[in-house]
Amino acid sequence: MSALLQITDFSLGLAGRKLLDGVTLEVDDGESVALVGESGSGKTLITRAALGLFPDRSQRSGTVSVRGLDTLTAGRRELLRLRREHASMIFQDPRAGINPVRTVGDFLTETLVRWHGLNRAEATAQAVEQLERLGLRRAEELVAQHPHQLSGGMLQRVMIAGALLGSPELLLCDEPTTALDVTTQAGIVALLREARQERGMGMLFVTHDLGLAASLCERVYVLRGGKVVEHGATRQVFLAPKEEYSRQLVEATPVIDPGAAPHAPELPEDAQPLVAVEGLGKHYGLRGGGTVTALEQATFRLPAGGSLGVVGESGSGKSTLARLLVGLETASEGTVQVEGSGRIGHRLRTAERRRLARDVQIVFQDPYLSLDPRIPVGQAVADVFRLHGKEGRRKAKESARELLGRVGIAAERLGDKPRMLSGGQRQRVALAKALAARPRLLVLDEATSALDVSVQAQVLELVEELREHLGLAILFVSHDLAVVSRMCSELLVMRQGRIVESGATARILADPENDYTRSLIGSYPRPLWETESLEAESAAP
Amino acid sequence: MTTLTFQLPQAGLRRYGSLLSPLAWIALAFLAAVVLLALLAPVLAPFDPDYVDLNNVLAGPGAQHLLGTDALGRDLLSRLMHGGRTSLLAPAAVVLGSTALGLLLGLAAGWSGGWAGRILGRIFDLLFSFPALLVAMLAVALFGKGLVAPILAMTVAYVPYVARLTQSLAAAERARPYVQAYRVLGFRTPWVVLCRVVPNLLPVVGAQSTLNFGYVLADLAALSFIGLGVQPPTSDWGAMIEESRGALLGGHALPAFWPALAVVLVVVAVNVLGEELSERIGGGLR
Repeated sequence: MSALLQITDFSLGLAGRKLLDGVTLEVDDGESVALVGESGSGKTLITRAALGLFPDRSQRSGTVSVRGLDTLTAGRRELLRLRREHASMIFQDPRAGINPVRTVGDFLTETLVRWHGLNRAEATAQAVEQLERLGLRRAEELVAQHPHQLSGGMLQRVMIAGALLGSPELLLCDEPTTALDVTTQAGIVALLREARQERGMGMLFVTHDLGLAASLCERVYVLRGGKVVEHGATRQVFLAPKEEYSRQLVEATPVIDPGAAPHAPELPEDAQPLVAVEGLGKHYGLRGGGTVTALEQATFRLPAGGSLGVVGESGSGKSTLARLLVGLETASEGTVQVEGSGRIGHRLRTAERRRLARDVQIVFQDPYLSLDPRIPVGQAVADVFRLHGKEGRRKAKESARELLGRVGIAAERLGDKPRMLSGGQRQRVALAKALAARPRLLVLDEATSALDVSVQAQVLELVEELREHLGLAILFVSHDLAVVSRMCSELLVMRQGRIVESGATARILADPENDYTRSLIGSYPRPLWETESLEAESAAP
Repeated sequence: MTTLTFQLPQAGLRRYGSLLSPLAWIALAFLAAVVLLALLAPVLAPFDPDYVDLNNVLAGPGAQHLLGTDALGRDLLSRLMHGGRTSLLAPAAVVLGSTALGLLLGLAAGWSGGWAGRILGRIFDLLFSFPALLVAMLAVALFGKGLVAPILAMTVAYVPYVARLTQSLAAAERARPYVQAYRVLGFRTPWVVLCRVVPNLLPVVGAQSTLNFGYVLADLAALSFIGLGVQPPTSDWGAMIEESRGALLGGHALPAFWPALAVVLVVVAVNVLGEELSERIGGGLR
């Protein structure tokens, strides 16, 4: 008897490149298995292959069998049966996976009506029941709503409900929580865990987040460049990885550790703060009247050379705060005072902008968008030196080469355009561009969120090194508590435009005062073996 | 008439660098040949295009007159080659003028946003609603026959095609992180717009302008055909068709056929090329 999903020596090539190379993997009934790898490792290709979805004109060999059906050789009708009865898939972006012009009910009942022969009322009843079981309230109303009326987390629950309705034996999850906030992610993960135990489904969980994999799956496959590097029990791979790559991956995965938070630098009592923010707020007028408050009553100080982390989920106002600090937004109320640049937050004139540029710089989230696609990276940095250092063409070029060398971009890459560089390299260039203005404060707006964990770790290391060397102050805005707590000695926790808690990072992590902060810390994925031992402890008298 | 509607792909534009399709290569080669023939007409043309030979009217294609002669005995091939000069130059002038003007106005509208942008947008819409040919005829009625008035009129009439496109592209580009990075770094806005953003928009705008060239060519030929554009004896494809009406009614199709074929082939080639370019750029989206 073969396993539920049995992939044997599966290779896939496209246009002469080998994307998957001899992958062997199995998932048994009732088992949850993680497939972990960085972007481009081929993890999505594997999950799609399990449903018989292959890229056009790809060469394939080996077998991918689900309940004994080899999807490489199966016919169209067999594949349809497989997708309808045996296996379901949950995608990363629920908004892209659901037809936006039809109701949630239509989405959920379609297969039941067309394939399982239920009538509309029966199908709807089943859908409602499934939604309720997944913890969605007012399910009857929900089925009449359209996707845009639901939040991302709710929509992902709808997707899961849709996947579970066909009573699949195999559930394929392709990064189902990557686009979600961490508290929402915790809910979804709990849900998947329950659904699996209840139904005895097999589950293949694809993720780039090793910590998340450890919180949900008993076994893990580590994938790199289309090859399985290591596989085994999650705990063993996590705690005692055999392969060098797995070890790097585990080390690069950020964890929340109050003891690891950096200490605040010693400062004289009367030191002037570099940045003083007082009662800062930002409201947006809506077209039909009314206002949205993105930020209100933010007050904090940041000393020269200090490090402040700003954590919060989407819509918490953290990015608005970052944009206010660099003069991309104007404040509705309150003041921002940057030592040397005076008050900002109003609409700045060119001269004021230029002065502020020498004090505060920003690195954006997406390095694919934040570099001019047409300008070679060496020139991009040299331009900044010419503007701020008043350097001549040749001198600026020399300075750019030196600075780029320091952030790890070799001299021979200077003529490259951004698209020829990897994500990590681009972010290094973005960093160099910001540093070329010789600022005293560097704002990092989710600056490592778009990067793979191993690349993220390298970039974070670089930022730390530069910070020490240049005496920079940093303000690190992120949704990822672990990353921020590693980098910053002080922390602001934001929610719905307000600062709900602030203080020393080590104190907040060890002893949070605010309920929301507590749930934020509690939502961070924890390895199964830790939660199990905790449960065992609490169960014991 | 089509207006290109798409956004710039996320990570900047695909370059023209990769190879064109075979069909686009053929179109490009054909256009290059036509332009070369028109440019070198004074050297290459076998006859003076205006030389009247009444002993040899409406001759069929032969060894002496490769494409035959018209009702006045003028060599059709020579007239076609010389006619290409005005027929191609005039639309080129219109396209250059409307692209430059459209870019400027579109940038002004897209970058400023707000009420100024909205008002400019409405003005473009207003201009859209006048057919270019009609505007050109009006200009002729006001300023007299000839090519100068219609060229100026068509330039204005084609501005909104470029301006509307530029406006939407510029507005999208303005919100891009890389543009914001320039702002934060303290670069002057005019420098950012003209030296950094415009070059990123040019490929898309260029594709639209290439398509416009074909339309303008056909419009101007039509204008000459109804006798309002190029005046005799200057040779022009539209005017040649018009002059051949009498011969056409007399059963001699060739004098009208050659210039008509030239117009059709050039317009088709330009369209093939324009579509290819826009697809290549838009392809980055998918």
